[in-house]
Amino acid sequence: MQRGPFNWKTLWPYAAVFAALLFLPMALSRFYIYITAVIYVTALLAMSLNMVVGHGGLYQFHHAAFYGVGAYTCALILVRTELPAWVAFAAAPFAAAFTGLLIGWFCVRLNKLYFGMLQISLGSLLWAIVFRWYDLTGGDDGIHGVPIPDAISTINTSYYFILLVLAACVSVMYLIYRSPFGKTLQAIRDNPERCEAVGINVRRHQLMGIVVATFFAGIAGVLFVVVEGSVFPDLLFWVLSLEVFIMCLLGGWFTFAGPMVGAAVTVALRTFVGTYTEYWTLILGVILILLIFFLPEGVMGFIIEKVQGGEAEE
Amino acid sequence: MLQVESLTKSFDGFLAVSGANLSVERGEIVAVIGPNGAGKTTLFKLITGHLRPDEGRIIFEGQSISGLRPYEVCRRGISLSFQVVNVFNRMTVFENVQVAVLSHQKKTRKLFSSSGRHGIEETEEILGNVGLADKARRVSGSLSHGDQKVLEMAIALGNRPDLLILDEPTAGMSPEETSVTIDLIHRLTRELGLTILFCEHDMELVFSIAHRIMVMQYGRSLIQGAPQEVRSNEEVQAAYLGGT
Amino acid sequence: MDFGQSITLSAVGVHLLVGLSRAMILFIVSSGLSFVLGVLRVPNVAHGSLYMIGAFAAFTLNNAFGGGSAGFWLALVLSPFVVAGVALVAERALFCHLYQREHLMLLLFTFALMLILGDLVKMVWGADYRSITTPEVLEGSLPILGSSFPKYNLFLLIVGPLVAVGLYLFTNKTKIGKIARAAAVDRDMVDAIGINVSWVFAFAFVLGCFLAGLGGALVAPTISVTLGMDHDIIIEAFLIVTIGGLGNMWGALLGSLIFGVTQSLGVLLWPQFAIVFPYLAVVIVLVWRPTGMLKSVW
Repeated sequence: MQRGPFNWKTLWPYAAVFAALLFLPMALSRFYIYITAVIYVTALLAMSLNMVVGHGGLYQFHHAAFYGVGAYTCALILVRTELPAWVAFAAAPFAAAFTGLLIGWFCVRLNKLYFGMLQISLGSLLWAIVFRWYDLTGGDDGIHGVPIPDAISTINTSYYFILLVLAACVSVMYLIYRSPFGKTLQAIRDNPERCEAVGINVRRHQLMGIVVATFFAGIAGVLFVVVEGSVFPDLLFWVLSLEVFIMCLLGGWFTFAGPMVGAAVTVALRTFVGTYTEYWTLILGVILILLIFFLPEGVMGFIIEKVQGGEAEE
Repeated sequence: MLQVESLTKSFDGFLAVSGANLSVERGEIVAVIGPNGAGKTTLFKLITGHLRPDEGRIIFEGQSISGLRPYEVCRRGISLSFQVVNVFNRMTVFENVQVAVLSHQKKTRKLFSSSGRHGIEETEEILGNVGLADKARRVSGSLSHGDQKVLEMAIALGNRPDLLILDEPTAGMSPEETSVTIDLIHRLTRELGLTILFCEHDMELVFSIAHRIMVMQYGRSLIQGAPQEVRSNEEVQAAYLGGT
Repeated sequence: MDFGQSITLSAVGVHLLVGLSRAMILFIVSSGLSFVLGVLRVPNVAHGSLYMIGAFAAFTLNNAFGGGSAGFWLALVLSPFVVAGVALVAERALFCHLYQREHLMLLLFTFALMLILGDLVKMVWGADYRSITTPEVLEGSLPILGSSFPKYNLFLLIVGPLVAVGLYLFTNKTKIGKIARAAAVDRDMVDAIGINVSWVFAFAFVLGCFLAGLGGALVAPTISVTLGMDHDIIIEAFLIVTIGGLGNMWGALLGSLIFGVTQSLGVLLWPQFAIVFPYLAVVIVLVWRPTGMLKSVW
C-alpha cells in the first residue's frame, strides 16, 4: 500500500511531460504556444469538472457557469476597480466556489437527472443575467482588453504562468483524489446508498466536492482571462458545459489524468480540423459516437487498461 | 440494547410490517426467521433508517432512533450488511472497507493528506478477520458472489458497530461458501464478542448460533424466545417450520 | 429600471396572448421531449436539432411546392415526417444498440447526434437566415382588447390544444400508445408480457422527434430560421419538462404555459431582463417542488 501522497514510480511520466512542456515555447510558433495555453486552461476546467463527475458521480451539467463566474469576477475587478491584480486573481476562485456553494446547496437535495436539470436552470439564470446586464458585464459583447499585469502579458510569460498554475492545481487535485475525502467521494459515486449506511452524510460530502471543484473552475476562469484578455457570456453557456463534460468522457472519466487528454484532443481537433473544414463539430460528433461504441472508458481508461492488464488505476 | 415496539410500515396500503416487536440484549445473537415476504428485510431497513416507520418505536441504547437518516443511525453504532450485494464496484476490496473505517474515524473530510496514512491497520485487521486479505487489491466488482457477500459484511464491520445487522448473510452462496461463512460468523461472535441481529433461511445456521429467535409472519412478530422454545411452539410449527 | 411601455390592461392582455401562443410551440416541442424522456429515460439533447431541421425542412418544402397557401400547408404536414424519418434512421442504426448501457452514455450519444445534425444542417442549408411567409388566411392581425393581435398566433392557440388532445387520446386510447405508457412506468413488465421493447422505444423516440419537427415547422413563419435555434429551444424544453415533472405530458403543458407567459410578461415589465424571468420562474418552481409540479413517471 502506497502511504505517501506521491509515488515516483507512477508519477515519473507526469514529471517528464511537465519538463518537456517547459521547453515547448522554444520549439513552437506564437500561434501554437497560444493554442497550447488554451489547452491548459481547458484541461484545468475539465479536470475540475471530473472531480465531481468522474470521481463524484454527480450530474454536474452546468460546470461552465462557475468557470464564467471566475472569469467575470477576475475581469471585472481588473477593469472596474483600482485593486491590485492579485486581488482579482485570488477573488475569482472564491467567487466561483461561493456560487458553487449556493447552487450546490439547492442541487444536492436532488438525485441524478433532477440534480443536473436544476443546475442547468440555475446556471442559465446566471448566464441570462450576464448576457443582459450591459451596465456591469457588457452584455452579449462581453468585456475586451482586460488589463493583464505586465509580468504575464506576453505570450511566453503567460504560457509559463498558466503551465505552473495548472501543474500546481493538478498536484493539489491529485492529493485530493487520493485523500480520504477523495476516496469517500469515489465511494459515493459507486454507491451512495451504501455510503449512507456506513455513516457518511452523502449530501454534505457532495456539496463539499462541488465547492472544491468550482473553486478550481474559478482558477481556470482566471487563466482564461490571462490568455484571452477578454470575457463573454458564452463562457457561461450550457453548450460549453456539455463540451467539457465530453472531454471528461473522451479522456476517460474514471481515470485521474484522462480529462486533460480529452481537453487536448478536443481543442486540437477544433483548431486543426477547423482549418481544413468548417464542419469540425460533425467530426467531433462522429468521434464521440465511435468512442461510445468502442472505447466507453475513454482514451486514458483504454491506455491504463492495456498497460496494467485490467488492474485499477493506482 | 435495542427495543422495537409495535413497529408498522405499509407500502401503498400493503402492510409489510405490522406491530412487530423485537428486543436485542448486548452480546446476544438474535435471529429473525419467517417465510419469504414476512417483512424481515423491511424490519431491518426500518431499524437502519433506510425506511421511515409509520408507527411504533425503535429504541437503541435508551434513545429513540426512529426517523433518523441511515448515516445517523450508523453513527449511533448500528451497521447493516445488505441482503443484495451492495458494495463499491469500481474500488478495490481494501478501499471498500477503508471507506467505512474512515467514516467511523470521522476522517472522510480530510482533503490534503494521503488515504494511505489513515485507517490502514484497522482495515487490514478486518480483512484478515474475514479472510479477504489476499484479495485486498482486487477490484470488488470482479470478486465472486460469495466473496462479495463476505466483503459486504467486512464493510459493515468497518464501522466497529455495537450492533451488526446481517440480512441473509448466506443468500445466493454455494454450499461450500455457506459453510465458510457460517464458520466466519461463529468466529466473529466468539472473538469479537459482537452483538448480532440477523435473518436467514438456513435453519442449521439459525439454530446453531442464535441465542434467541424471533419469528415473523405477514409482517407480525409471532414469538421471540430461545431456540428450544421456538422449535416447540405450535403456532410457529404450523406457520413455518411445519413446512420444512 | 426602464419600462418598455406603459403597463395598461390591454397591453397585459396582448402580452399574455402572445405568451400563450409562444407556450403552444414550447408545449409541442417539450411534450415530445417529455415523451422520449418518459419511455426511454434519456434526455434527448438532439431534440432541439430536430426542431431546427423541422423548421428548415418546412422552408425547403414550402419553396418546393411553390410557396403560397398550398406550399405552407403541405410543408407544415410533411416536414414533421421528414424529421421523424431522420430520427428513425438514427435510432435504428445507432441508438438502439445502446439501451443496455450506462445512462450517461445515452445522454452523450444524443449530444453527439446534436453536433452532427447541427453541422449537417449547416451543410445542407448554409448559415443564412431563412423565412417563410404565412398563407393569406393567417396573415395580418385581429383587433383584440383594443390592440392588434397577429392571426398566426391565434392559429397557434388553436393548434396547441389540438395537439394536446391528440396526444392524450393517442397515449390513452390506442394500443401502441398504451404500451408505450406502460413501458414508461414499468419496462420489465412490458418485456415480460412478450412485447418487443426495442421497437416500443424506437416508436417513442420517433414520435417525440415528430413533435419536435412539428414545433419547428409551426415556429418557422414567426421567426427567422437559422443555425443556433436548436441551442435556444433545447434548454427551454428541458427546463419545462423538469418543472412539469419528467415524462408527464400535462406537466409539459403547465411548464410551457409558465415559461411562455413569464417570458412575454417579462418583455412588458423589464425588457432588458426579459430572458431572466422564465429562468427565475423555473428556479422558484424547482426550489419549491424539486421533482416538478406534476407526478413524474420516474
